[in-house]
This record gives sequence, structure tokens and C-alpha cells, in this order.
Amino acid sequence: MRADPASLERLETHLGRLLAVGVIASAALLAIGLALWLSNPQSQAAFWLLNAGLMVLMATPIMRVVVSFAEYVTARQWFFAGVTIVVLVELSVTVLVALSRRH
Amino acid sequence: MPVLLLTGLTPSIVAVVMVSGALAGCLGALLGLGGGVFLVPFLNAWLGLDFKTAAAISLVTVIATSSAVSAATTGRNLINLRLGMLLEVASAAGGVAAGVTIAHLSDVTLERGFAVIAALIAVLMITRLERRNVISDTTVDPGPLGGRFHDEESGGEVVYKVRRLPVALGVSFVAGNVSAAFGIGGGILKVPVLTAWCGVPMRVAAATSSLMIGVTAVASVPIQYANGYVNPPLAAAAVLGVLIGSRGGLWFGARARAKWLKLMMAIVLLLVSFIYLRRSL
Repeated sequence: MRADPASLERLETHLGRLLAVGVIASAALLAIGLALWLSNPQSQAAFWLLNAGLMVLMATPIMRVVVSFAEYVTARQWFFAGVTIVVLVELSVTVLVALSRRH
Repeated sequence: MPVLLLTGLTPSIVAVVMVSGALAGCLGALLGLGGGVFLVPFLNAWLGLDFKTAAAISLVTVIATSSAVSAATTGRNLINLRLGMLLEVASAAGGVAAGVTIAHLSDVTLERGFAVIAALIAVLMITRLERRNVISDTTVDPGPLGGRFHDEESGGEVVYKVRRLPVALGVSFVAGNVSAAFGIGGGILKVPVLTAWCGVPMRVAAATSSLMIGVTAVASVPIQYANGYVNPPLAAAAVLGVLIGSRGGLWFGARARAKWLKLMMAIVLLLVSFIYLRRSL
């Protein structure tokens, strides 16, 4: 169950990069979407960009869990791979409930 | 699809939300907690959004804060990824549970709950324990959940072990519930427990909690989004404001021990708590 420090550090760096990309991408989408919405509240492009920005924002922590799972499997840390799967199942429940509520 | 526009949503309201997000983010970064506890009463009690909308928008900003802060913290061994993931099992469960039930609770119930939480946070801020929880003997085995990092205060590598895991899991579940229901990160509840009872050093607890709150929030935000509580233009304004504000807060000097600021904000929170109690009675 002990991780070698190199793989741990690699995981942290990967996750840091992933989170940075996610937050920058969503902030860009939200900023452009908001600017378009301010110029025309009926704009379809604004609607699309704002919702895309929120989707990217929500997807970022989920991707963080997915990448962690892949890294734990690669490092053969089965206990933590299992823990990560449980978190992913919980998040899937949320997404499924959300999809079922959408009209 | 949730309604895109609240009726009467004007550019000036969007601007006000962005500025309030910036202020909340700045205060949050200065005080070491998310800005949600300030943003929710502002959006709800001051701007007049219903409580569930205010909480959902605030929770969206929690995701942004979590990703942004964690991206800046990686590479220093402060984030305990394995402990974080283990505790996320409990905090995400708490988030899902609250996310499903919140639609059935009335705004008055939620406002009363928020009054209690705001008062509790104020008390925690005033009495916050600052135990060190580090072992200077680096040959000690930290165990599978503990860790080691370079501590700037003692100038060397330090080791810590995680104790009383069930307590940590319990508080994470509660934090998940509170986070989803009231739109706050929940770190303010987890960090004191992790440091006081579970042997986790302050900075590790804070960094790990910052990472966790993103997943905790995502355990309920999609449900709130599907229920129409996340208004896209307002959420965008709040997120952008918080991102800018938290940068500013860090830039103003996060290292400074702003004791007077903590005390002042604790008083503000007690006031918020009082206003909510009066409104709901």
C-alpha cells in the first residue's frame, strides 16, 4: 500500500495541471458567455457558452477523480483504487439524478 | 432545461453579483475559508434571490475556488491525496444525500439552519485551535494515510500520522450535508476537527480540504442545476468575481495573521445569524 514518492509527486503534478486547465477553460467560456449575454440577453451563443462553462467547471473535479483512479491502478494501489471507485459511483448517482430531473 | 433568465435580471444586478463575489472571494482567501458564507446571505437577504438559488450559485463558486486553489498548491506535498480521497467517500455521500433532499425543504427551514451554521462558524473562528501536530523525528513511519512535508516554520521535513479516522469520516459526511444545503465549502467544519482530533497539521488539513470541497460540491450541484437553481449569467458573474477576488486576497497577504479581521468577520457572521433568526421567526 506504500506509494513510492516519485509516483505520488507525479500524480500531484498531473492533477494540478488538470485543475488549472479546467478552471481557466471554464472561466474563459463564462467570461465570453457573460459578455455576449450582456450585449444581448436572447443570444443563443451566450446561452450555449454559459452552460458549457458551467459544465466544464463541474466536470473538472470529476475528471480529477477519474485521473486519480487511473494512476492508482497503474501504481497497483488497489485499496485506493477501490476508494476512488466508490467516490466515482457516488458522483454518477448525482449525475443520473440530475439527468432524470431535466425536462 | 432550467430557465435561463430570471425576470428582471439586469446588467447592473450581474455587475453587483460579480463585485460581491470578488469581495467574498477576497475575504475568503484572507481568512482561509471559502467566500460562500458571505456570498449566500448577500445574494439571499440583500439581493432577494431565494435561498436555494443563492446557495446553488455559491456552491458553483466553491467548485471554482477548489480547483484554482488546489492547482496553485500542488507540488508542495501539502495536499494529502489519499486521505482526501478516503474522506471524499463520506463528504460526497453527504452531498448527494442533501442534494436529493434539499428540494423538499422550505426556505425558512434552510434559513434557520444557516443562522445556526453562521453562528457556529463565528464561534469556531474566534476559538480556533492552532495545534501543530507535526513530528520532528523524520524516521517515524507516517503509515499509509499520513505524510511528510517541508515545514517552513520549523525549517525542516516533518512527519504526521492520521488518527481517529472514523471521526474524520463523520465530520466529512456532515460537512458534505452542510455544504450542499447552505452553499458553503465546509472546510471551516472539517479543518478544526482534522487538526484538533485527527493529528493532521493545519496547513495539510487546509490544503486537503480545499481539494476535497470541489468534489463535495459536485456531488450536489448537478442536481441543483437540473432543478433550475443555478442561473447561468449570475453563476458566471459570481464565479468570475470569486476567482478575481481570491487572487486579490492572496495577493494582499494570506500569510499575515489577520486577527482583527477574523474577529470583525466573526462579528459580521453573528449579525448575519441574528438577522436570519429574526427573519425566520
